[in-house]
Amino acid sequence: MDYVNMLLQLLLGTNSPMNAVLRLLYLIGLWKILKKSGIPGWWALVPFARDYMLARCADREAEGRVTSVTNALTSLSGAISYAFSQGQWPEWMQLFAVLTTIVMGLTHILYYIRVYNGLIEIYGVRKIWIVPWIAFDFVPSLYWGFSDKYQPKRQVEELREDALSLFTGKDVAVAGQGLTVNMKERSVWDFFRKKYLLRDIHMSIRPGSMVLLLGGSGAGKTTFLNAVNGYEKAKAKVTLDGRDIYAEYKKMQYRVGFVPQQELMRGKDTVYSTLMDAALLRLPLEIPMQDLKKRVEDVMEVFGLKPVRNSLVEKLSGGQKKRLSISMEFISNPSLFILDEPDSGLDGVMARELMQQLRSIADQGKIIIVITHTPDRVIDLFDDVIVLAKDSHRTGRLAFYGTVEEARKFFGKQRMEEIVMSVNRKEEGGEGLADDFIMKYGEVRNG
Amino acid sequence: MGEKKQDMTQDSGYSIHRRYRGRLEQVGIYFGKLLRMFLYQNDWKVLPMSALVAGLVSIVIKNSFFVSMEGTLRGAFALACVGIWNGCFNSIQVICRERDIIKREHRSGMHISSYVAAHMLYQFLICLLQAALTIYVCRAMKVKFPSEGVITGNMLVDMGITVFLITYSSDMMALWISAVMRSTTTAMTLMPFILIFQLVFSGGIFSLPEWCSGISNFTISSYGLKCIASQADYNNLPMVTGWNTLVKLWGEKVTLKTTYGEALDFLAEGKSPLVDEFRAKKIGGIVTIGEAVDELRESPDMEEMRKKEFTAEMTVGEVVRMIGEDRVREMLLNKTAEASRIEDFDGGSDKILHYWQIFLLISFVFAALSVISLEFIDHDRR
Repeated sequence: MDYVNMLLQLLLGTNSPMNAVLRLLYLIGLWKILKKSGIPGWWALVPFARDYMLARCADREAEGRVTSVTNALTSLSGAISYAFSQGQWPEWMQLFAVLTTIVMGLTHILYYIRVYNGLIEIYGVRKIWIVPWIAFDFVPSLYWGFSDKYQPKRQVEELREDALSLFTGKDVAVAGQGLTVNMKERSVWDFFRKKYLLRDIHMSIRPGSMVLLLGGSGAGKTTFLNAVNGYEKAKAKVTLDGRDIYAEYKKMQYRVGFVPQQELMRGKDTVYSTLMDAALLRLPLEIPMQDLKKRVEDVMEVFGLKPVRNSLVEKLSGGQKKRLSISMEFISNPSLFILDEPDSGLDGVMARELMQQLRSIADQGKIIIVITHTPDRVIDLFDDVIVLAKDSHRTGRLAFYGTVEEARKFFGKQRMEEIVMSVNRKEEGGEGLADDFIMKYGEVRNG
Repeated sequence: MGEKKQDMTQDSGYSIHRRYRGRLEQVGIYFGKLLRMFLYQNDWKVLPMSALVAGLVSIVIKNSFFVSMEGTLRGAFALACVGIWNGCFNSIQVICRERDIIKREHRSGMHISSYVAAHMLYQFLICLLQAALTIYVCRAMKVKFPSEGVITGNMLVDMGITVFLITYSSDMMALWISAVMRSTTTAMTLMPFILIFQLVFSGGIFSLPEWCSGISNFTISSYGLKCIASQADYNNLPMVTGWNTLVKLWGEKVTLKTTYGEALDFLAEGKSPLVDEFRAKKIGGIVTIGEAVDELRESPDMEEMRKKEFTAEMTVGEVVRMIGEDRVREMLLNKTAEASRIEDFDGGSDKILHYWQIFLLISFVFAALSVISLEFIDHDRR
């Protein structure tokens, strides 16, 4: 009998017959709900993992991880509490079990409410459904699971028959000069499954190019840049001027400048000190102090920071902060210069001035890769365009790489913002053509 | 721009085989940065704050610190708390407030160990200044420190080192918390719990149940309390609680039940001024009470009476005066002190040096933990 109880406790989270029946009804409904979202229904029978799977249906993966873990811990602390009731245990263990039960229980409930909210949004029903979900989850579970009236707005997995043909797997030749990227995948283990952030990206960028990186929100632009500069390594070979960035990261990191989206500088430091420290950190030890100071002065002049050299960073205007942030990386004269939205928060005139400065840096033989959400006002300054798009598996893929003109022809759009819209998902207000362009580009690459 | 462009290209493409600034050189860069922050970011405010806290504590402890066991225990606890408070507030926000900046700099070649070492160095100076200020303020507020110290020969220096080490180890603990927490809000939310934990589990003020008494071994407050109490020679100080309680009960009436024999013996021995005064009183102008008592004590007719009991109602004060106020006071102070001795509070250089070593160990452990925690900074979710 004890084994039956234990099995019920493990599978259903209860060993009272009445509750077991209710849980069983809930799980039957859950099986159907998971299936509706494109997840195998048998996950409903896997304790703890089913919480995560339900959260995936609700597009609340982060919350799903918490509900799974808290559910497991609540069960564990429940078992410990039960053990306490059977015998003499130290006081501290009792205290620990009580605290764990309270904290885990509360967290579990709060995160489950978030999951239910997500589910309500995905099914496009009224918010009032949250009440039965909290009070009698077996009712909405069965009702939503079996009724055809209730359908999720989107599937977790949308598999297409032609999905495999999306992958080209074709490496580009490593160039002696410039940047070569041959990325098979950039993935992370997300709880119970491997999640692909980026896949099948191959390109070669020649020196002196100023490249625009386009893509909708979540397409993996920043992930791509982090993988290119070696900060977050992917399953890839990335070479800069023939040298492997991953293999020689410690040495190569000084030849790659990455300017983050936010101005990550200490506001209470002066402009000169900020640049001087950046120079000390990024320039080789052999450079005499006199040359190092001269370099700081030169960079300040190039970026128009001389008038504010003794000002505190926090006192600078938005444009000056951007320029300072860029100059901190530029000080080491990198061959590859990556900028994540350098024009955010700047007006049109200032943004253009900044991009013109970047153009002139590219003209010195450097590679400049820029993410911007307002590309059309400065598109004439760019040579090439990279378009990343989320495919139906929600993986970032290369939808295009080529010159600006080629991009216009490829997508049949004049403006860059229209190109982004064409590859964005429909629920994001786009045209949902990502897979089509990914395949088209693959065909072009494969000849 | 054109001419500059030319200059920029000339020195492009530094060889990747060049050497860059290593850990030691980077400590200098970051130490300089922290000193600038001290000036511009108002980090100097921790100094007047520590003086203010020391002043407030001095008002409370100045009359009894180093005077009695209870006063010394309270004073030691208060001073340890001052150190913990100062240390925690020095660095609870210093890393988490610039976490994103650290990520950026780490990407540009910054060594985490250099960054933490620069903080250790900088906080060392801040804590040193705070400890000096704390001792100076205590002196200025007329807290009476004994002149001789066990380790250096000067109590002020000894006590200063202890306060510094308590502050520094707390500082390093807070530095670690700051390295683990992702935002200043979370760090500041955790802060009261850390302080309450230190306060409750110091083991000095609140008596802990046996099952959790071991936890005090993991608190800075516990070692702080022990170290200061040892330096103040706690175990050789009197305990005044018993006597003070007795004085408060001075007018309370008590009923004494004794035998005639015991009463006669007590009056015959005359060990207090009050008894002597009583013995000197004359009865009927012929004999003194003392002579009559002695006579009765020796008399064989009293043999039977000696065993008989009688009751008398007196005040506590009368009883004490009868026994002898000084005698009772001395006995109470010494006996209660003897019963309240704590082995951990024994004076002596070995013990104090041992506590100092523990503080240093705590500091280095937390600094190492900070380095380890920050090494994972690249894994922060965006």
